[in-house]
Amino acid sequence: MIREFFSELFSGELFRVFVYDFLYFPTVIQIAVIFIFIALLSTTIAYISILVRRYRGHRRDVRRARINPKIDQLITENIILNEGILEDKPIEDITINLEGFRKPLYKKRWVRQALIDRLMEYRKNFVGTIGELLRIVYLELELDKDSFRKMKSPRWERKVQALVEFTSMDFTIADVNILPLTNSKVRELRAEARHAYIKLSKNEPFKFFDIATEPLLQWDQIELFKIITSTKDIAIPNFARWVTYSSNKTVISFCLKLIVYYNQQAAIPAVVKLLDTKDHFLRADAINCIGKMKIEEVEATLVNMYNNQPLNCQIEILKAVGRIESGKYIDFLRQEFLHATDFDLRKNAARSLVRNEWMAKDVIQELMVTSTPDNQLILKHVMNPLIKY
Amino acid sequence: MGKILLVEDDEIMQKVIEKILIREGLVVDVARNGKEALVKLEENNFQYDMMITDIMMPYANGFEIISRVKSEELGKKIPVIIISSVGNEDSVMEGFKLGADDYLKKPIMAGELIIRVKRLLARANNVL
Repeated sequence: MIREFFSELFSGELFRVFVYDFLYFPTVIQIAVIFIFIALLSTTIAYISILVRRYRGHRRDVRRARINPKIDQLITENIILNEGILEDKPIEDITINLEGFRKPLYKKRWVRQALIDRLMEYRKNFVGTIGELLRIVYLELELDKDSFRKMKSPRWERKVQALVEFTSMDFTIADVNILPLTNSKVRELRAEARHAYIKLSKNEPFKFFDIATEPLLQWDQIELFKIITSTKDIAIPNFARWVTYSSNKTVISFCLKLIVYYNQQAAIPAVVKLLDTKDHFLRADAINCIGKMKIEEVEATLVNMYNNQPLNCQIEILKAVGRIESGKYIDFLRQEFLHATDFDLRKNAARSLVRNEWMAKDVIQELMVTSTPDNQLILKHVMNPLIKY
Repeated sequence: MGKILLVEDDEIMQKVIEKILIREGLVVDVARNGKEALVKLEENNFQYDMMITDIMMPYANGFEIISRVKSEELGKKIPVIIISSVGNEDSVMEGFKLGADDYLKKPIMAGELIIRVKRLLARANNVL
């Protein structure tokens, strides 16, 4: 049946219909046939590529399942149960038997990759002597050369893989290799390179801020923040340097967050100077920073500039007055709470009044009685200690 | 010689900790997830000298296992060490509130684990 169909298709009537008569079909039909053909072809290609990838993945998993127990055994025998660890010897005096790792099997590229991945897995779970010995094995077997080969690959996924390996093995690499990647157009590579740079560069981990022209996206900022604040022995510079000189707004914004986290009082003049910037998003970030650092000397400036600011800056000013808690601007907050037309402004004014309660107790009580039902509701809401902003 | 129940779903951690503890002369019973741990505890009538557990595991997490152990009269005496990659204040506090005796955040130092295990075992023996 199928055979007949195909012989008919290529030699007979059907073939003539598809190839010859096609030219005489109405245009709409021609277009429809072309679309159907393209759709069928794309679907077939997609399915084939999925199948090929799955097959490759499956083959890799099977090979890994075979080699991983052997690697585990070598690591256990030579590192985990190393006599030197048991005898509490210093790292330099511990000898690792690398004979097993040097067998011909371990010369194959995929086995070496499996070994790198396994060493990384172990290092994820163990620090101290075991972690150091795993690193020594990585260096002694010259697995860093495999990682370097990946760094030179034109494919960004390979570069990311190499960076992950270097970071995991705490392998310091030259700035010239990594710095350009911190400004890559590929978001994933850029993020990984920045993470690696912070982790690996002990002296100047923030040097990439100097050359960053690509933005630090919100998610990157969260990741970087986590890495910076959790990496041990990291040299923390004065972030005012980038607040003053960087032309990358996202870097400035990120530095303002770090200034708050590290409570860098020396950076305050640079932050205050940022209040004059034309970019209102940056200005709002600077005001936020001032509020969180409770810089009382700038409070008057913030209140004076309030009326000329866009909404986001006004909200930040109200929040800052609340955070500083000086109690000097109760009237200002009261006026905003009563007369602002925007809901967010009224809500933040109320919140800041509550934060300044030590000076504003009478005002709050008065407002609870005299203000409109809507405003009373806002006050009740912000006074609820369970609701946080 | 102490008998330890090791509850860990990570294959590497499981093997390495088991080997390290065996080398120290301890008997180790391994459970690969929370459910298996609860079964082993009941099968052995909570006769363990110590339990080392992870937090994030399939079927029943570490906290559930600890609260189950500590709710039993026999289980109350079992010292518990938590080994977890979750190191935030909330989970550390939760662990101690439920009755854990120690908390180690991954990555761990093998030497430190041994010292803590030995110390807790010695303390438990003295109390008993």
